[in-house]
Amino acid sequence: MNHSDTKQGIGAAVKRNEDERLLNGQGTYLADLEIPGTLEAAFIRSPVAHARLGAVKVPSEYSHHVFLAADLDFAHPIVAATDDPQFQSTKQFALAKDKVRFVGEMIAVCIAPTRAQAEDIAQSCELELDELPALWDMDVATAPDAPLIHEHWRDNVYLKTDVSLGDLERARKDATISLSKSLSMGRHGAVPLECRGVLAHRDRRLNELTVYSSTQFPHVLRTCISRAIDLPESQVRVIAPDVGGGFGAKGNFSPEELTIAALAMKLDQPIRWIEDRRENLIASPHAREHRYDVTVHANNDGLILGLEAMIRVDAGAYSVWPWTAAMEAGMVVGILPGPYHVPAYAAKSQSICTNKTPMGPYRGVGRTGACFAMDVMIDALARELHLDPADVRLLNLIKPEDMPYQSITGKQYDSGDYPEAARQALAAIDIDAIRSRQATGEKDDRLIGFGMSCYTEQTAHGTAEWVSRGLPVVFGYEPALARLTPDGKLILHVGIQNHGQGLETTLAQVANEELGIAVADVVVRHGDSSVSPYGMGTFGSRSMTMAGGAVSVACGQLADKVKRIGAHLLQTTADAVTLSDGRVHTETASVALNEVAEAATLHPERLPEGEEPGLDISAVYEPKRSTGAFSYATHACVMAVDPGTGEMEILDYVVVHDCGRMVNPMIVEAQVVGGVAQGLGTALYEEIPYDNNGQPLSSTFLDYMIPGCAEVPDVRMLHIETPSPHTKYGIKGLGEGGAISPPAAVVNALNDALKSLGADITQTPVTPLRVLEAIESGAVSPL
Amino acid sequence: MKQSVSLTVNGRPVETTVESRLSLADFLRLELRLTATHLGCEHGVCGACTVLIDGEPARSCIALTVSLGGAQITTLEGLADDPAMQIIKQAFHDKHGLQCGFCTPGMLISTRDLLKRTPKPSADAVREGLSGNLCRCTGYQGIVRAVLKAAEDLAAA
Ligand code: FES
Ligand code: FES
Repeated sequence: MNHSDTKQGIGAAVKRNEDERLLNGQGTYLADLEIPGTLEAAFIRSPVAHARLGAVKVPSEYSHHVFLAADLDFAHPIVAATDDPQFQSTKQFALAKDKVRFVGEMIAVCIAPTRAQAEDIAQSCELELDELPALWDMDVATAPDAPLIHEHWRDNVYLKTDVSLGDLERARKDATISLSKSLSMGRHGAVPLECRGVLAHRDRRLNELTVYSSTQFPHVLRTCISRAIDLPESQVRVIAPDVGGGFGAKGNFSPEELTIAALAMKLDQPIRWIEDRRENLIASPHAREHRYDVTVHANNDGLILGLEAMIRVDAGAYSVWPWTAAMEAGMVVGILPGPYHVPAYAAKSQSICTNKTPMGPYRGVGRTGACFAMDVMIDALARELHLDPADVRLLNLIKPEDMPYQSITGKQYDSGDYPEAARQALAAIDIDAIRSRQATGEKDDRLIGFGMSCYTEQTAHGTAEWVSRGLPVVFGYEPALARLTPDGKLILHVGIQNHGQGLETTLAQVANEELGIAVADVVVRHGDSSVSPYGMGTFGSRSMTMAGGAVSVACGQLADKVKRIGAHLLQTTADAVTLSDGRVHTETASVALNEVAEAATLHPERLPEGEEPGLDISAVYEPKRSTGAFSYATHACVMAVDPGTGEMEILDYVVVHDCGRMVNPMIVEAQVVGGVAQGLGTALYEEIPYDNNGQPLSSTFLDYMIPGCAEVPDVRMLHIETPSPHTKYGIKGLGEGGAISPPAAVVNALNDALKSLGADITQTPVTPLRVLEAIESGAVSPL
Repeated sequence: MKQSVSLTVNGRPVETTVESRLSLADFLRLELRLTATHLGCEHGVCGACTVLIDGEPARSCIALTVSLGGAQITTLEGLADDPAMQIIKQAFHDKHGLQCGFCTPGMLISTRDLLKRTPKPSADAVREGLSGNLCRCTGYQGIVRAVLKAAEDLAAA
């Protein structure tokens, strides 16, 4: 590598390139786009959970402003199925046909010059709906006499799975304790601050349908749209402009995207839809609603001998493309043992169809639930055995000498020292001081509790992982096109989409590492299917590893060429030069990148013999092994609870984290903290409950709480850096990790605090009311 | 129903006739193309749409344009040359106080107001003072650090 200047390369806390436009209010989000003649769309969405759809009465003056399923019958429905023959799949049409299956399902689209006018038109239409029983909960949908949501199905379950690994009989026999519990997580949303949005129009000159979407995966979306409306991919372009947060909710092919694209095509008219917050909460994919029945078999020291789990996920009314309705349960089954050594394991899962908003990926995906179930069980086991939960964890955590480690479910944990993260967290939070503070008691009579949680997170899933899941797409690689301009600056064209992760900076740092070019001289172009080679997008904690790897390969090859040309200009050989500070150096002389670039682009006569002109290099990167790079962490927190009111406060929160080699520690920390805030939302605040008519009860920010500035503590963070053996520079993904452990850590801290009252919290979000209920039931039947 | 109204936006007098239901946010964004003002909820909770009305921070999504006759409206665009805002922006850059940038304009305007009223806030006071602005990305830590740094830099300026 050629870099005497490492100050901006891998490992440097470089400030972000993207800040300037965002701070100056020049970020351009979907709603800010100006395409002349654009009409705005408002959807008529189902007000009921389950009904046969009769006529939609449209006032005659609006007959050219309102469009129904029949108007878009040329668009194919969205079908997301795994390759498991048992999977029962759904067909989600752009607009509902015949039947509606959740509150918020789209029935019609109204267009007008402003959104307000489009909403007026929507208001003036009347729906004929013949209501059917609402299957508003997993238990209701799986009751023996439950009507079918999709008439051709066997039952209301997308997929049932059943695995049994290791000698569970023996574990049951050898165990001195077998502890069972039921645990559950509430349903909630991903809730990016910018809601979703789509704008589609036909570019007449190029004969191209241009679709702007607030999406995390523009190239994949292009494929979806082209297939759904039978256009060649060469006639579809998808552009994600600035995107105001995604967190998974913008990494799906949505019926809104399909409808707007199809309608813009049909009418040859620019049309835009901007989701409002109510639509976002009721109709954007939901997250997290899992129920667990777990049994852990252990000996008297707390050593885990076996684990059994029944996992049920409320996947909602349709299977979300491409992840499928079985994604959450499937991931939980695979990762439930987590960072712990589990020698015998049996898991059954059900992905259940209900009359609710479809469930899609959200930061952490199945792992937040799996970690919650596993770590709450470990604390319960420790309480039962009168052991310290920290000791039980340390006893069961996989040891560094066992790395690489194959988990019982076949996951290949690549590297790391899990117990060390736990020990560092215990030291940082000062567990001894907390225990003595607990012994002394609080002046204000609040109760103090300590909780911790450890996870391991598969990131940068490669080909092997996606193939094993049997999804419609295998997201195994990422491309980069590195282009040196005649003035010696670099443009990186990449297939990922940056929406807060800092990739316009961190990918430039990779270029700096390889080419010695200043980060400020690198422009990262992303989020546009026409500017980069085909790429998969940003999700699954993959972009830095995958696109970073691709940028590294492309820039490495570019560096070789630059050195050859630079050496020629300096009248020496390529092995005698180095690259740094934007120049090619020999010991005594140097030539600037722009002189090299000028030779390669404008003056081929200056090139060495046999050297091709041009400085564009395209590369594709796949990690050496595609089984994933495993990041891991321990979260530790201290909570105070008022047993009289149920009010809670986070007194301290520590994260000890290992995401392999850090490209930019400033960005790493901020990604972790942002994830922790969202995890605390899952733990304490966020919920979209449904009533027994299938009506969602949180549809505004007045009844749906995301954590505010006063709710999130100052997170203290420590880093371990164990490079992944499989990836370029040893990078592991980290975007999601912060959101995995908070529910487990918080619930463990609360149960520790309330131990003397016999309270047992088993459900998120933990509201003050649920604390009081747990205290009450603890008092009725003390442990 | 349409009504006419005259007001001042970023120092420029504006006379217009608008629907009486048009929010200030929509007026700024759709009619004046001032798109630094973002909409995160349109019901007065998230603070993304914060602007200054007669120098006071206000939620432009729930302010009606027609009720603002004679008012002075200032958006982030109108504070481009404001020395305090430049220092605040620099601090947000230095302390990584933004990720996707969607909450950022509202956050910057609220920060400027907070530091005017409380030039040397504690970290808790910053958290309290910004509790009306939601950010889904940062977990607020970078924002709090940025505001504390801006306070120092403003004091030194
Ligand atoms: S958009 Fe105005 S407060 Fe949320
Ligand atoms: S930076 Fe994304 S909402 Fe604040």
